[in-house]
Amino acid sequence: MTHPWPIAITGLGCICAAGTNLDDCMETLYSGRRAPAAPTRFTSSHPTRYPVFEVSGFNEPPELLRTSALGLHAVRDALADAGLDLETLRGLRVGVCVGTTVGSAMNNEQFCRDYRAGLDPDLEPIERIMRSNPAAVIAREFGLTGPCQTVVNACASGTDAVGLAASWIRGGVCDVAIAGGADELGRITYNGFISLMITDDSPCKPFDRNRKGLNLGEGAAMLVLESEETRTKRRSRARSYLLGYGSACDAHHLTAPKPDGEGLRYAIAEAFSCCGISAEAVSFVNAHGTGTPDNDRVESLVLADLLPGVPFLSTKGYTGHTLGAAGAIEAVFTIACLERGMIPGSAGFSTPDPDLGGTPVEGSTKVEGMVALSESLAFGGNNSVILLGTRGAA
Amino acid sequence: MMRIAVKGIGVTGGFGCGVADLAAALKGGISRVSEITVPSAQGPLQMPAFRAETERLDEFVPKRALRRIDHYSKMGLLGAYLALADGGMLGSDLSRLGVVVASGYGATATTFAFLDSIIGDGDICASPTHFANSVHNSAAANISIMLGAKGPSLTVSQFDMSVPSALVSASQWLAEGRVDAVLFGAIDEVSDLIGYLQHRQRGPQRACPISPLSTGEESSIIGEGAAFLLLTRKDDSLAYCTIETVDTGSLYQEELSFPDDALLLLGADGRRELGARYRATVPGHSRVACYTSIYGSMPAAAAFDLAAAALILQNGRVYPIPGAAGCDMDGIPVPLETTRICALKLAGINEYAAVTLSRLQLP
Repeated sequence: MTHPWPIAITGLGCICAAGTNLDDCMETLYSGRRAPAAPTRFTSSHPTRYPVFEVSGFNEPPELLRTSALGLHAVRDALADAGLDLETLRGLRVGVCVGTTVGSAMNNEQFCRDYRAGLDPDLEPIERIMRSNPAAVIAREFGLTGPCQTVVNACASGTDAVGLAASWIRGGVCDVAIAGGADELGRITYNGFISLMITDDSPCKPFDRNRKGLNLGEGAAMLVLESEETRTKRRSRARSYLLGYGSACDAHHLTAPKPDGEGLRYAIAEAFSCCGISAEAVSFVNAHGTGTPDNDRVESLVLADLLPGVPFLSTKGYTGHTLGAAGAIEAVFTIACLERGMIPGSAGFSTPDPDLGGTPVEGSTKVEGMVALSESLAFGGNNSVILLGTRGAA
Repeated sequence: MMRIAVKGIGVTGGFGCGVADLAAALKGGISRVSEITVPSAQGPLQMPAFRAETERLDEFVPKRALRRIDHYSKMGLLGAYLALADGGMLGSDLSRLGVVVASGYGATATTFAFLDSIIGDGDICASPTHFANSVHNSAAANISIMLGAKGPSLTVSQFDMSVPSALVSASQWLAEGRVDAVLFGAIDEVSDLIGYLQHRQRGPQRACPISPLSTGEESSIIGEGAAFLLLTRKDDSLAYCTIETVDTGSLYQEELSFPDDALLLLGADGRRELGARYRATVPGHSRVACYTSIYGSMPAAAAFDLAAAALILQNGRVYPIPGAAGCDMDGIPVPLETTRICALKLAGINEYAAVTLSRLQLP
């Protein structure tokens, strides 16, 4: 059994440096505000204080990783938006598919420090990791009975989680799927990305001639996907539709995109093929747009070839690169922009780069149409694309 | 669910390397347990572990190409190449191949090495090579790069439930027609961290065989390895078996039901608390088998279970069950024949997965 595309999206939730709920995030984006700053939640001995985008005013409970707590926050908003309470959820087979990069990694620094120092460290940090697998935490918190999957496709994880959850709905694996991504800031990713020399020591500038790299961020976003049968039974409204999903691997390099963007091209083509939608229907693209020289070059080249003249932007100038959460946060932003008929300016961009295939929008820009594309490129050569549409696009 | 054919198997683990070594170990009921030394506050700890070798990777990849690839990815690469070779797809057009990798803990040795670079030398000396290779999808990426596989790629990390969870998505890819084949595998490795945690959480380790069906005692031994299956949509060509259903989720008040005619292949691995869950879950009249004492305790063991099930179904006869003498479950071990197997995996307090596989109906 494989149900046809599209798949209804009935609820959205989001938390990131731009705001602790979706409305606040959108207000921040349209106002053009951003406030990257040196990390406050951890220290570093780097002589340069690389800016990050922290979620301020959010405290995780001691028993959970911050990643999972951020994820739960976004799920609660998404379920409320979908009108799904605990009693309704218990009558349904609900799956959970969540992307992350650090949420399932066995890498507690203090534990390792103590172990290397010849101590017998407290096991609590490891036990916290073991009970904090992001998808499992959500299933446990809401008593969900369906399949549970934590996707670790690096920076494409959030986009893949949404696409895979749609696949579960299409296959009748579950009635409802909670899908998205979550990731927290920490010293390990901070030092790791700096070591790769792809981190900007000033606020990031996606697609700008003077871009120097990314700023890390943290956050989570979740989407509620529903089968048509379930939606009909509970008379829920579709806020948006997932019209297609595509993914492909560059098979080129562990940390660099293929210069010709081959994998991204395949992924875009597959996403279009799901609903038979053509490039002309796309009103804007929410690009991966990390601000690294390689990513933005490849992405702009592919967009210029496949979607010439279509406005594009990167929202990472407002959120930082939230890694496994990025694709989900950007999917939620994309839907909110479609609903409002307006995209924010691509924060950090001011100087066109003649080597790129195009330039992003500079200020808030009206868009017409019912379809938009959100894409993610990741370590490992993963490229993932989702097509999102308003109710009229389905 | 659409039926899926298991066309190839590629394995490396404590029992050896390749499907013939796995079959021999299952038939003989024995595997090679190594001894590892793990640093601890009390001094070096000796403990048993099932270690996997990757020398046979030389048959497929020039040594030079492996210089920057860690042991974790090498195990995955070897499993992937062996599965493709076993399924007759090595050298074929792989443009419609998907790659799915499940891992409970990822590349823990490399993750630890990255932390070491910071702890030992300061933040400014963080190792970019270790960082890049510690990312969870590094093995899937290395497999795709080496094979030139440009289809979709997925890595899942769901601790003990990683394998069945990933299999749900792999099955959907085939059902949707996104790909014509999936290279589906699982990898986990033994490292200082994993060894130390085993010692702290499970107490002193002894080199006695795992007694997975003896639910009252702790007998787990950590293992490492890679188990890959080449999956396609069912057709008329030769295959080991078919996968009929993949059911996974969490149980609250519900009880699991199993096909009456199926042998239950249990994922019990000597961990006492999980043994108790298996004992409570498996119906008394069931026929049961368990082979984790061949490959050890690790999240990836669930993929070895699928490989063992495929071999049993191909042959039609069940291998002897190591440690059956100590069985204190209600189920009946030592069945002789079967045409259907339900691989049962339990984890945590309520997570479950049941993968049903069946023998091919020959024309």
